[in-house]
Amino acid sequence: MKKCCILLLILCFLLGGCAPAAQKQYNAVYLDLFDTVTTIIGSGDSEEQFRQEAQKIYEQFLVYHRLFDIYNDYEGINNLKTVNDQAGIAPVKVDSAIIELLLDCKAYYELTDGKVNAAMGSVLKLWHEARSHGIENPDDAKLPDADALAQAAEHISFKSIVVDEKASTVYISDPEASLDVGAIAKGWAAQRVAENAPKGMLISVGGNVCATGVKADGSAWVVGVQNPDGGEYLRKISITGGSVVTSGDYQRTYTVDGKQYHHIIDPATGMPSTYWRSVTVVCADSALADALSTALFVLPLEEGKALAEECGAEVLWLDAEGKQDTTEEFQ
Amino acid sequence: MRLRFQKWDIAVIAAILVMALAVFAAFLPREDAPAAYAEIYQDGKLLKTVMLSEDQEFTVTGRYTNTVTVCDGKIAVTHSDCPGGDCVSCGWLDGAGRSIVCLPNALEIRVLAGSGDVDFVVG
Repeated sequence: MKKCCILLLILCFLLGGCAPAAQKQYNAVYLDLFDTVTTIIGSGDSEEQFRQEAQKIYEQFLVYHRLFDIYNDYEGINNLKTVNDQAGIAPVKVDSAIIELLLDCKAYYELTDGKVNAAMGSVLKLWHEARSHGIENPDDAKLPDADALAQAAEHISFKSIVVDEKASTVYISDPEASLDVGAIAKGWAAQRVAENAPKGMLISVGGNVCATGVKADGSAWVVGVQNPDGGEYLRKISITGGSVVTSGDYQRTYTVDGKQYHHIIDPATGMPSTYWRSVTVVCADSALADALSTALFVLPLEEGKALAEECGAEVLWLDAEGKQDTTEEFQ
Repeated sequence: MRLRFQKWDIAVIAAILVMALAVFAAFLPREDAPAAYAEIYQDGKLLKTVMLSEDQEFTVTGRYTNTVTVCDGKIAVTHSDCPGGDCVSCGWLDGAGRSIVCLPNALEIRVLAGSGDVDFVVG
């Protein structure tokens, strides 16, 4: 009888062991990367352990942030600003990450028929300056000068970006052209960092979200897609890996004469694209998701659907009237 | 010999199941979730945690000054002297996983709730 009781007790604890252990979720927020918000969510045996892991991830992001920066110089490194400054002058020796990023940018340029163009820095610079000025001085907000835009649009060919893999150099052959990797760099960096990160984390760089496996309790991460008009989420997407990215016309805006202008510029017109309010892309690779969210933002539905299918991506479109459209498999 | 379930066998099986369930339940994470609350971060450091059930207003100073208001279970930056004022145009939030950010003042308000089913919000 005694034996029987002990056996029973052991069995109970064996079965009881199946219950999930309650692990606390922690998050770390960084505001000094890629001019946006970086959030890392995960768990660990202790908060300290999580902080250490988050710090390692942050440091990897910081390296990419400096390399891909087109506004600031950093002592001892050649970054994309260095490359831009040397346009038409000389090739610049750069870190292999820049070479790899630019080769991917070229692939996305070809894949999207130029809709995602890292070589359109000349045009984006004019919008960036106009937006910064407009935000600092709301009463004096202006659109970029139309002539200047038209002139800049003459210098956005990716052919002028000469990447020499062997020598690890980049040269911009057109002195008026420049690089701006804003449409790809965040997703690209997130993908790289996520691949090296511990399992069970959710990493977001400015809304480029990557999951590295299930949560500590074994469940999937739930990512809500914001409704730009407020209220309920457009969708709740469950992911255990891969990436979710949203591009919206309500991000990085400024107002000129009462009209709001956003940051996603159609290379064909040099103006903010007006097809969509937001485009959400779900796919395995965050760099591709980032590039696609920009490309699809400047494409009408049918062309967008064809591109999404070609890339194996699931997409949610929201138009100006609040109407939603999705690829077939979108959850 | 015929193998048959006896009364005693069934009692043992039932006892094992009941006790296993009891232990399973005892180890389940607590579901009595706390009410919605928000964490206020500046420069990545947690400044304070506020319950959204308690109406209040406070300011966060730094390079700029944000006025944060909690009212009727929602939270918003109701005034800011930062350029752009993106934080104010975020409006009122009450959903778990959502956040308001003021990049110029390095402020982040993250809405959390024990019962929230969304981990993160994009867009």
